[in-house]
Formats: sequence, structure tokens, C-alpha cells
Amino acid sequence: MEQHLAIKATDISKTFHISEDSHNTVKHRLFNLFNPPRARKVEALKPMSFEIAKGECIGLIGRNGCGKSTLVRLLAGVYPATTGRIEIQGTTLLMNLGVGMSHELTARENIYVSSSVLGLRVREIDCIFDKIVDFAELREFVDTKIKYFSSGMVARLGFSIAVNAGADILFLDEIFAVGDMKFQEKATKVFESSWIAGRTVLLVSHTMDTIRRYCHRTAYMANGNLVFFGETEEAVRLYIRDNGE
Amino acid sequence: MEETMTARVMDPHKMERLWLLARIEFKLRYYENKLGLLWALLKPVMDIVIYYVVFQIIIKQNIPAFASYLFIGLILWNFFVESTTGTIQILSTKKYLYEYSNMNKMEIYVSTLMSNTIGFFFNFVMFLVFYNFIERQSTGPSFYNLWIVPIFVILFILSLGSSLILSNIYILAKDISQVWQVFVSFLFFLSPIFYRLSTFKESLPKFDYGNPIAGIIINARRVMMEHRPPDFRLLAWDTLYALVLLGLGLFLLNKLGSKAAEKL
Repeated sequence: MEQHLAIKATDISKTFHISEDSHNTVKHRLFNLFNPPRARKVEALKPMSFEIAKGECIGLIGRNGCGKSTLVRLLAGVYPATTGRIEIQGTTLLMNLGVGMSHELTARENIYVSSSVLGLRVREIDCIFDKIVDFAELREFVDTKIKYFSSGMVARLGFSIAVNAGADILFLDEIFAVGDMKFQEKATKVFESSWIAGRTVLLVSHTMDTIRRYCHRTAYMANGNLVFFGETEEAVRLYIRDNGE
Repeated sequence: MEETMTARVMDPHKMERLWLLARIEFKLRYYENKLGLLWALLKPVMDIVIYYVVFQIIIKQNIPAFASYLFIGLILWNFFVESTTGTIQILSTKKYLYEYSNMNKMEIYVSTLMSNTIGFFFNFVMFLVFYNFIERQSTGPSFYNLWIVPIFVILFILSLGSSLILSNIYILAKDISQVWQVFVSFLFFLSPIFYRLSTFKESLPKFDYGNPIAGIIINARRVMMEHRPPDFRLLAWDTLYALVLLGLGLFLLNKLGSKAAEKL
């Protein structure tokens, strides 16, 4: 894979097999050995290929259920692809309503665990720990388990970890849709600052202003197909036309 | 595959993360309860009291240093059970770790087993104190005691392999936990944990080769209590068991584990 690329996807596709009966016990499987479950195939992503260079900010738009989140999960390595190859250079972070956090752990422990999973050394986490806590405005709840947090507090913590710990490649799935107005403002401000500089970003959003403002190139998807990948204006035009029908 | 796996696990950065995860896991397990760490220490003692009463006082087996005999057997056994029964649902409970990043799932397993190793370590220190200072029929320490390290490593690999297999089957069949529970009690009663070894061997000839835990317990007693080197044939046999199970576990992790995020 060429050095300047962050993501290279070749002919990737994803098909989900959704079985109609629940064949998820040993008993059930044994009794129905010769009567395999009828599985419905859902082609969530049809074969597509593309390349994303390091440092690019890519928009991903399309109507609900068109496969945006599936594509993002595939690229982040959360789901395996049914066909094709995905090559990734660097650590990845997928963020939608928060980064992965355990509700059984305290905010402090979650900060350490998540940041470590994102590839930071413990020493480095010590350095940014206060920044994360202050940004999330959770100073007095540092040693509280996050299951006692409100959903807004959890979202703030997740966002703060993502902002401060980061990863080489960020997949941001509707991050501006959570939190109150003040938090959204803060998120936008961070986005404008140096946070994403030098990182590769894939931004999923339904807010065309955001897409227009930040994305160098944009992908437009419909029914699991990558219809268009290129000029942001053109992608947005296609999306708006699709919504108009 | 195996080579890259060891290379990854040996990376100091990864080691640091494994240690962090293991410590948090250990804390979660023991500090959440009112009894705290005391429970980790108390549990084997209470088990020993029960089995001592049943097998030494009621059934009168007359095994020398029976409390110590039970002690070493039980702590090895408990490590195996905690690392297998306790991890069947690991891909579900630890989903938050791999759902948002491309973290290697193997780290989740290794860190959980490391946390169990911390627990085992405390129990083992207790055993050493008990055996060398309290046990009246003790034969004292010897250099053969050092053999416990490779024996434990084999147990660790064996548990890791079993844990990988069980937790990946869990993705497809949730009731594997019930099936495993029956299998575990089967293994428990067919391991020479509280029987006299000669009785065990007479009644079930060659079974020490059929049950890898039996071999590990037998060898641990030889090196800790009998001032003898381990039975090398048994040791080699158990190593083979451990490696085959680990290989199968890694195969399943690649095959099924990659789908954990969408199935669980």
C-alpha cells in the first residue's frame, strides 16, 4: 500500500445473514442439524473500492439505512468485510454516541482504558488526564462510576477522550447530533481548531453545512451503493435531489 | 499467526496496556464487594475446610498433609474454572473494548487471565506460608518448587485455549455455559483433587493422561510437596493438550470472533 494512503478499500462488500428462527442454542442446533435456519440475506453494502489519503477530511452522506454506519464499522475494523480487502495505516477510532466505555468503571478508569486502547502510553495519559477531565467538565465526578452519569455526561466524557487521545484515523458518526446546544458548540469549535489537523477524518452527517464546511471530498451513498465519491458540492446536490423525490 | 501473536504480546507498549486492563479487572472483581480482597483469600480456606471434614474426618482417607494436598490442588483448579467458566461471556461483557476501535481481541483474553493470575499468586503465597510454617507434616521448601512456574504456564495456556474456544462458541450457542457447567463438575470429580492418588490411578488407569488438569495437579504436588521432579511424560502430554487447545481457540477466534461485534 502506498505511503500517502490512510485507507485503501478494494471491492469491499457486506452481507448480513439474519436468521428468522433463533438458532442460538446448542439444543436448537442439534435438533435442527438437517434443517438449517432460513437466513435472510441483507446486502448492506454492495462492492465498492476507494482510497483515502492521509490528512483528508471525507464526508459521508446518504439517507437513513443506506449503509453509512455499516461502511464506517467495516473500515474501523469492527465488522469483518464479506468480500474484498481493507488496508488501514494507523490506529482507528470510531465515535458515535461516545467511545467505548464500560459503565462499571469510573470516569478515571475509563479515561485510562480508552486512551490506552487508542494507543497512548500510560505516561502520556497522565499528561493529558487533567485536560480530558476539564474539557468534559467532570472534575467532581472523576471517581464515580459512569453508570451513575447522565447520558449527556457520558457523551461529554467520550467526546473529551476522543478529542484529547485521538487516533490517526477518526470515524465520526453523527457526533454533532448529541449533547445540548452548549456542547454542540464546543464540539464544533474543537472541530475547527487544530484537533483534526494531520489526522484522517471520515465524517458522517446529515447537516450539509458541516459537510460543506469541512470536507475536502464527499461520498454519497444510496441503497448500499457508493453512488458518487468526489467534489463535495456535487455529492451534496445528489443527496438533496434524493431527499426531494 | 502464532509468531505475530507473541511478537504483539511481547511489545512493551502492549504489555503496559495488558497490565492496566488486568489491574482494573482485578479491582473490579474483588474491591466491589464488602469482603474485598479478603474473599479471594477466604474462599480456598473455606473450600479446604469442607473437603477436609468430608474426606479426612468422615471418609478417613488418611492422606498425609491432607490440608496442603487439597490447598495446592484447589487453587490450581479454581484458576482453571475462573478462567473458563468466568470468561464464557467475555466477548459480550467486554464489547466496549473492541466495538469502537480495532483493538486485538486477544488482549482482552490475556488481560483477564492475567488478572486471575494475580488472584492465583495471592493464593499461592498463602499456600507457601501454610505449607512451610503451619503444616505439621510439611517436608519444607526445595529447589524442585521452582518447577511450579512452567507447570503454571501450561495451566495458563490450557485455560486461555479453553476460554477462547468456549467464548467463541458462545457467539453461536448461548447455552454453552450450561453445557460447560456440567462438564466442569465432571472434570472436578475426575481430577485427583481430594482423592488419594493411588486410588485414583487404580480406579481410572491412564486417566491422568485423559484429563489435563489431573496431570497439572499431580505434577504440582510432586514439585511442591514431595521433593520430586515433575513426571515429564505427563508434563509433555499436558503441554501438548494446552497447545492444541490454544491452536483451536485461535482458529475459532479468527473464524467466529471477528463477527462478535455484529452477533452479540
